[in-house]
Amino acid sequence: MRRAPSTVVVQRGVFTIVISLVVVLVAFPIARLAQTVWAETDGDLSWILGSAGLVTAVRNTLLLAAVVTVVAVPSGALLALALRRADVPGRGFFRVAVLLPILVPDFVLAYSWTQAYGPAGFTDSMTGLGWDGVRGPVGVAVVVAVNAVPLAYLVTAVGLASRAEPDLERAARVSGAGAWTALRTVTVPLLRPALAAAGVLVFVLTLGTFAIPQVMGAPAGFTTVTTRIYANLSLGGDSASFVEAVTLALLLVVLAGSVVVPADALLGPRLRVRRQAVAEGSVTASAGRAPGRWIAAGLGCYLLATVGLPLLALVAAAVTRAVGLPPAPSNWTTDNFREVMTARTFEALTRSLWLAVTAASLLTLLGACVAVLERRRSGRPLSSMVTLTLVLPGSTLAVALLISYGRWLANTLAIILLAYLAKLWAFAHRPVSGALDRLPPDEVQAARASGASALTAVRTVALRPLLPALMAAWFICFLTALHEVTMSSLLYGPGSETLAVVVLNSQELGGIGPTAALSVLLTLLLAVPAALFWVLLRVVRVPETDPSPEVVPHVA
Amino acid sequence: MTAQSAPPAYIARMSAQLSSLSGASSHRIRPKHPALAWIGLAAIGALPLAACGGDGGQSEGAASDTITVYTCVSDETIQPIISDFRDKNPGTEVDLFRAPTGELNARVAADKRSGGLRADVIWACDPLTMQAYVDQGLVGGWVPDDASGIPADYRTDDYVGAHILYMVAVSHDGSKAPKSWDDLTDPGEKVAVPDPSFAASALGALGYFADSPDYGVQFYDELKHNGAVQVSSPDDVTVGVAQGVYDAGITIATSAYKAQQDGSPVQVAWPEPGAIAIYGPVALVKNSADEKAAKNFVGYVVSKEGQTTVAESGAYPTMEGIDGPTVPEGAPVVLPDWKSIGQQKDRLLSEYQSIFGG
Repeated sequence: MRRAPSTVVVQRGVFTIVISLVVVLVAFPIARLAQTVWAETDGDLSWILGSAGLVTAVRNTLLLAAVVTVVAVPSGALLALALRRADVPGRGFFRVAVLLPILVPDFVLAYSWTQAYGPAGFTDSMTGLGWDGVRGPVGVAVVVAVNAVPLAYLVTAVGLASRAEPDLERAARVSGAGAWTALRTVTVPLLRPALAAAGVLVFVLTLGTFAIPQVMGAPAGFTTVTTRIYANLSLGGDSASFVEAVTLALLLVVLAGSVVVPADALLGPRLRVRRQAVAEGSVTASAGRAPGRWIAAGLGCYLLATVGLPLLALVAAAVTRAVGLPPAPSNWTTDNFREVMTARTFEALTRSLWLAVTAASLLTLLGACVAVLERRRSGRPLSSMVTLTLVLPGSTLAVALLISYGRWLANTLAIILLAYLAKLWAFAHRPVSGALDRLPPDEVQAARASGASALTAVRTVALRPLLPALMAAWFICFLTALHEVTMSSLLYGPGSETLAVVVLNSQELGGIGPTAALSVLLTLLLAVPAALFWVLLRVVRVPETDPSPEVVPHVA
Repeated sequence: MTAQSAPPAYIARMSAQLSSLSGASSHRIRPKHPALAWIGLAAIGALPLAACGGDGGQSEGAASDTITVYTCVSDETIQPIISDFRDKNPGTEVDLFRAPTGELNARVAADKRSGGLRADVIWACDPLTMQAYVDQGLVGGWVPDDASGIPADYRTDDYVGAHILYMVAVSHDGSKAPKSWDDLTDPGEKVAVPDPSFAASALGALGYFADSPDYGVQFYDELKHNGAVQVSSPDDVTVGVAQGVYDAGITIATSAYKAQQDGSPVQVAWPEPGAIAIYGPVALVKNSADEKAAKNFVGYVVSKEGQTTVAESGAYPTMEGIDGPTVPEGAPVVLPDWKSIGQQKDRLLSEYQSIFGG
């Protein structure tokens, strides 16, 4: 294959930049953590790894990650499949509503669930049905799963948008396959890369999740590796505790690596299917027997339980004068909102918006680069590498970056940006990777041969079918970065306070009224861009070849 | 594209860059395309800087009197302190880093390993943390001459207590307010205790009870026996009791009184033998770049003026005779032995965890 020399140079350049960034954001910080541990323990880790309760914590962590992955990924996929159907009434609303849990910071989500379903919570005071187990391992698993479902949904949905082959599905149905068989033999195999991507993301994210186990697991004595890390950081301040925290964080990296590396190596290349660049749209009409309105009803129930009631509890907390009072009009107040809406908050919000937009844009670019480069043999380890920083709890990742670059970048927005890039790179990479098939080089070359410049060829041939995935990657990084708490509250300095630092940190993560008010405001604030995003997605979606449901009854 | 696939040369390049970044020199591994690698690195270096644009550049030189304070004290207290200090010391700027103890510790540990503490003053929330900083040679060695206004129980040669957290009992309206800590073990009371592996204040309480001949760790055993539940933080105790999930609990006085003042259905008690006082010490960082201004700040915080500002902000001052937040008439106060807690922290926690799990 001959290429214009300029293309080769560009490719090498991109490759070098991405590799360098992997070194800067992933390899070097992790290496510095390891070096710290090595230097300060002389390599003797037995007192840490043999400490009481660690085995339980590791088992809890792995079990939680496995359970959440097994629950959240199929749920997300089901949601994506259901919302693909044109006959589901209120589809647009559902598509946005499904994403709402991402808007709420982890520990607020945990709180809202205990308020909605726990003893003395919403359901308890209204109907007498309280769920004791919400403060315990089961509650933790449910809430972490609910938090992960939107992610799985988004990854599968963009996988569907760029990979679905409605013609193949219809062909299967016409040839006599039932809805289930068509799903099993056509749709799901096409979705496998997206499902694998969602699985890896959810698994790794859950390994590193902290706030939910801390808040909801404590009453049951449920510990995870992350809660132990925080316990080591918060108690003592001595070197031994710090080294123990860092060692446990590296243990998480090893755990994540030992799952992700083989998964990527074995599954990655096999799941890809060679296909045409032009996807044929994501909409199918009724594929199964259940009419759309039943699906809508099911979705409505799911959303009411997982989003509606917890959000309602949050609103109640935000407008109520003091905890423990019934949310009756006589107890309503706007104090919490006034406390949150200050000039400082506004300044910090502007900064956070700016940071989130920058981070999301860079990440989308970087994610796409890795998704392309991992197709080369020499680029394969990249995808696993960028996933390793996702598992590091915010506190230890921030420490790693400070130790690595603090001399030059401490107290700047730049180091916070680096932290976001490091933490969320996998968030940006996996959705694109799950949507991207082997780039059809012949089509790009056809475009080039017809006189298109390299840029035009990539833009028109490769980028267009990928647009939903790129936008989803951007969106999820933006939302996560916008209310990120731990890393920015550890890295900020004068003039680089983020929204979370100003509002949540001043509350010691305890003043639940103002925190709830902030979450409500954020949700409202983001509902607008979210709606916009949805409209955009409709506009750029690959033209639907056959959206009219009238055709399909022949099949059904 | 596959035809182009290079051998895994980038691994060599990666390690070369790694060692060049970490400052070690390596002659064995030569990057295949050093120029490209360096262009890449330069681009990365420029990227965040360019991205920062107008927002950066806040770290103006240390020429003017600018000190940095690291603290875990809440914004409600530290902000008035800083603005009052500025008013009284025109020309001295105070930069603030405020974070919960866990994040504060992480930041200090990371600073220490990347060129030294970037603070001039640390104001911690418990003596255990501060003593650890002293032991590592990060802070201490100096206290203001006139710190004698602060009771001797709240100071050492390296740091001086600037505020106090009182661990008290909070109970739901209608439940019996405990007269003594023992009353919490009465059958039928559902009690919430804060997790001592999460909050140092809770560890202080654990340390006090464990040391006390009348209580011991079996106090927690009895609590658990009567159905006591561990929650994450003292604030979670207050919230849970206010909502009636628990009948009573051990929490911080400021949190309980705040809920009560807002109208939550709770009452606050200072049980016998006393509310457990946990003091937050302030200390001078060793080799502070602007030692004079930093000493001024520490001196101000433990002066009568500073303590009055602390009290007005809603925190308990350490200095006696200053009108602060609510302390009931004749309320008893006891002190944990921080030295012993520091020595037996791991044993205490593991004994506690054998009762409450985790």
